[in-house]
Amino acid sequence: MAGPVLFHLIRRSARERLPFSSMMFLRPTPPRATRRRKLENIFLLLLRCLAILLLAVGFARPFFPKGNASPPPAEEGRQMVVLLDTSASMRREGLWAKAVAVARQYIAKAAPADRIAVMAFDQQPRTLVSFADWASWPVGERAALAGQRLENLSPGWKGTQLGLALTTAAEQFADEAGIGEAMGTREIALISDLQEGAKLDGLQGHGWPKGVRVILDKVDPLRRGNAGLTILDSANPNSTVGLSAKVRVTNARDSDRENFVLRWSAESGTGFTGKSVDAYLPPGQTRNILAPELSNGAVTGALKLTGDEEDFDNAAYFAALERERVVIAYFGSDSADDPNQSRYYLQRAFPETARRQVEVISTFANAVFSIETLTRAGLAVIPSGLDAAAVAGLRDWIAGGKTALLILTNAQSGATLAALAGMPQIELSEASGDYALLGEIDFTHPIFAPFADPRFSDFSRIHFWKHRRWTMPPNVQARVLAKFDDGAPALAQITIEKGSLLALFSGWTPADSQLALSSKFVPLMQTILDWSGGAESVRTQFQTGEQIPAPVATGDALQWRKPDGKIVSVAAGTPFTETDAPGIYSVMAGAELRHFALNLPLDESRTAPLSPDDFARLGVPLRGTSGLSAAKAPGAQRHLPPAELENRRKLWRWLILGLLAVALVEVVLGGWLAGRVNTLEVSA
Amino acid sequence: MPGESSINLSSRGRERGFADPKALMAIRNLELRARVVVEGFWKGLHRSPYHGFSAEFTEYRQYSPGDDTRYLDWRLYARSDRYYLKRFEDETNLRCHLLVDQSRSMDYGSLGYLKSDYVRTLAATLAWFLHGQGDAVGLISFDERVRDYLPARHRHGHLRQLMLALENQPEGRETNLGEPLRRVAELARKRGLIIFLSDLLTPLDELERNLARLTAAGHEVVIFQALDPNELAFEFQRPTLFQDMESRQDVYVDPAALRSEYQSRLAGHCREAEVICQKLGAAFHRVVTDQPLELALVNFLRGRSRRNKPVRRRAQSFASS
Repeated sequence: MAGPVLFHLIRRSARERLPFSSMMFLRPTPPRATRRRKLENIFLLLLRCLAILLLAVGFARPFFPKGNASPPPAEEGRQMVVLLDTSASMRREGLWAKAVAVARQYIAKAAPADRIAVMAFDQQPRTLVSFADWASWPVGERAALAGQRLENLSPGWKGTQLGLALTTAAEQFADEAGIGEAMGTREIALISDLQEGAKLDGLQGHGWPKGVRVILDKVDPLRRGNAGLTILDSANPNSTVGLSAKVRVTNARDSDRENFVLRWSAESGTGFTGKSVDAYLPPGQTRNILAPELSNGAVTGALKLTGDEEDFDNAAYFAALERERVVIAYFGSDSADDPNQSRYYLQRAFPETARRQVEVISTFANAVFSIETLTRAGLAVIPSGLDAAAVAGLRDWIAGGKTALLILTNAQSGATLAALAGMPQIELSEASGDYALLGEIDFTHPIFAPFADPRFSDFSRIHFWKHRRWTMPPNVQARVLAKFDDGAPALAQITIEKGSLLALFSGWTPADSQLALSSKFVPLMQTILDWSGGAESVRTQFQTGEQIPAPVATGDALQWRKPDGKIVSVAAGTPFTETDAPGIYSVMAGAELRHFALNLPLDESRTAPLSPDDFARLGVPLRGTSGLSAAKAPGAQRHLPPAELENRRKLWRWLILGLLAVALVEVVLGGWLAGRVNTLEVSA
Repeated sequence: MPGESSINLSSRGRERGFADPKALMAIRNLELRARVVVEGFWKGLHRSPYHGFSAEFTEYRQYSPGDDTRYLDWRLYARSDRYYLKRFEDETNLRCHLLVDQSRSMDYGSLGYLKSDYVRTLAATLAWFLHGQGDAVGLISFDERVRDYLPARHRHGHLRQLMLALENQPEGRETNLGEPLRRVAELARKRGLIIFLSDLLTPLDELERNLARLTAAGHEVVIFQALDPNELAFEFQRPTLFQDMESRQDVYVDPAALRSEYQSRLAGHCREAEVICQKLGAAFHRVVTDQPLELALVNFLRGRSRRNKPVRRRAQSFASS
């Protein structure tokens, strides 16, 4: 404000130079500000001061402390959801006690007219105290009763779905409003360590309810920085020396440590065993590292990270991958070494991999159909016609939820197809012509869906020298997955009760087609096997909170052993859900002991704090911090929710409009005054 | 007061219908400007009281045997039936040197044209006039030293050359009166007329010494001091940073506070110059750039006619006054 006054006073001594012939008769005179001049253009001075004032107010307004203060509690009382983070990162030293203390303060400060709900969240939000509970409790006992529910609460081992928690908490208000209650101030007090590993995905595109604000109560741990690890995969499942694992290690941005050591924990639980691996990780980086080899004979282990003080995430558990064994029942007696026969190609379509070992077994023992073989199989392949006994057994097997692939290598196979499909008769005829190509493929079917991408969808180069034509009656429950270019079905799916029969109207041997020699054959066979359900899940690494699929679908209840030694009985075929702590989970699947390793989500190790701007960017209206948490986020007090900022921007427009108007008047007035002075000088 | 006489002259000039300097300066061609002034002067002269003078004509003398019959005035003989000879001060034509100041201070002007424009027009006018009478005219332009020199000649094309030299706009610097006057003394060996056109806005220490040298050498010296009306009146209103056109020095001046002091110091300076001239017998004319140029010419010729009359020791009378 002093600026215009100062400039106004020294305006007369403008630095304009006036050339003059000689300075001989002149001497310098100091600039003077006479009283007359001070008062000469007082209106102009006032205008300039006003312009500066408007500009200053326009810019300073968002920083007025008063402007940031919350409105006084409404008469009808406020509604608040206290949202308490119980994710694994809250296990860090010094966090949980502070968080509970802040929650208790909110509860204790509640006025009789206020309505408080308390929720806890990690991967899933859960209500501890609902608005209805609060309202039903006597006013004097509310704080005590809500406090009791907090007592039993402790941080778990799961990840942080902060976005989901916030949206769920915001929906609590919507449920309340539905009852017809008066709408007071509605706030969510988020008590959390606000680590950057918290997932805010749920907020993206979420329509935030109007009038609900979030108070960020960030609790700070005693120490900054953290490093964590998780196991990705078995590194060398075929190794004869020892098992190893690929490990992902991460170091938080705010960490001040860089050197860590990885070692397998001894089976006794104390001390280490085997070699160690050094890991150098600058703050903020994540690296994949090959862990040292596990001791001989061990299939499970706990890999420990040393060098990090926050030890809640310094152990990663490993269960060696067990190879999946799949049996394909082959209803033919042909040799696996004859390239003119189908089995030769089928056998080679399923090479042995780290994850899966496929065994093609003939169902004919000494040319006699053996049902025992079929019960072990995940998929049946029938390359030719079958006798009645085999058809009956196979049909029952398919009806139980299995899949069989029938290759119609000649027109006589129609009888087998009819018998399996339960139809009276099916007439097949050999197609004429040199060859046929695939004309139409249903890429929406799971078998062909992996080929839907234009890069892989070209089946047009596969020539079918021979194929069988079937005129499909309209009442047949069949889905044609692929057609030849003459319109005849090439691959059809016929549903038999719970199972499916796939009928291929040509063969894949070189005599019939180029299918087995094409690049599509192996992936097609793999997708058929996957789709048939013959291959079971072989995952052994899970994250806390994930379900472990049942390793056995039928039979007696399974006895799951948790890391703490607790035995949990779960029915066969039901996934195991009590995965609330990291460690090795074991179960007897038939005669086999299976191990599953559960680890913390690696995001929990990323403990550098989130910025309030991250919330603002996702459209969450913030109300600063309550000041209840012991350590406030720097700068959070000054942070404004976007809605408020927007409101102020509207005010800005008026201020700037006013400023422009004042500036216009100033320019006109200044110009007029300058013109008048010039006129006076000219006339003088 | 010199200022008063200028104002009187100016008003008299307007009455006579002389050309307005502002309109005159609008003519771009210097030669044409000079011709307009000289023709205006002749036109005004018919009504003026100053009849029959020329640059060098002095008197008639009765013919006596042995005189050169070329100087017989046959018209007078026709009227009076007597032989008279025209007598001239010098047998040869008058040799005149115009000394034109082209320093930066001459580039000041408050009337829409510069002092240097006015002075160059005045010099051209004098050259045109003298050349028309058959006198030899030369030119020396100077700032702190001599820039251009054209020897005094009367030949075909010389006047045009002189006009071109005057039209040159050299990059003027500071004024130094000593060096050019010394140089003129060296160049103009024969006695003649030296017309010195400057604003004299420079210390006058060297003026007296060098003028004395010229007058001692028998030269007749006429000094025109050209000043802008604003230099005299100093009618500035607002306190301003004034810049010296010669030294580029900035001086912050409040004109209202300094006007009277400035005017008295300027008047003192002009009076000093005038005193020097009178003391040394040089003619001193102050021209203000809003005056018609014809008046300057009238003043010049009137001063010359007075000079040709019996000399009175005006310096003494000035001193006594």
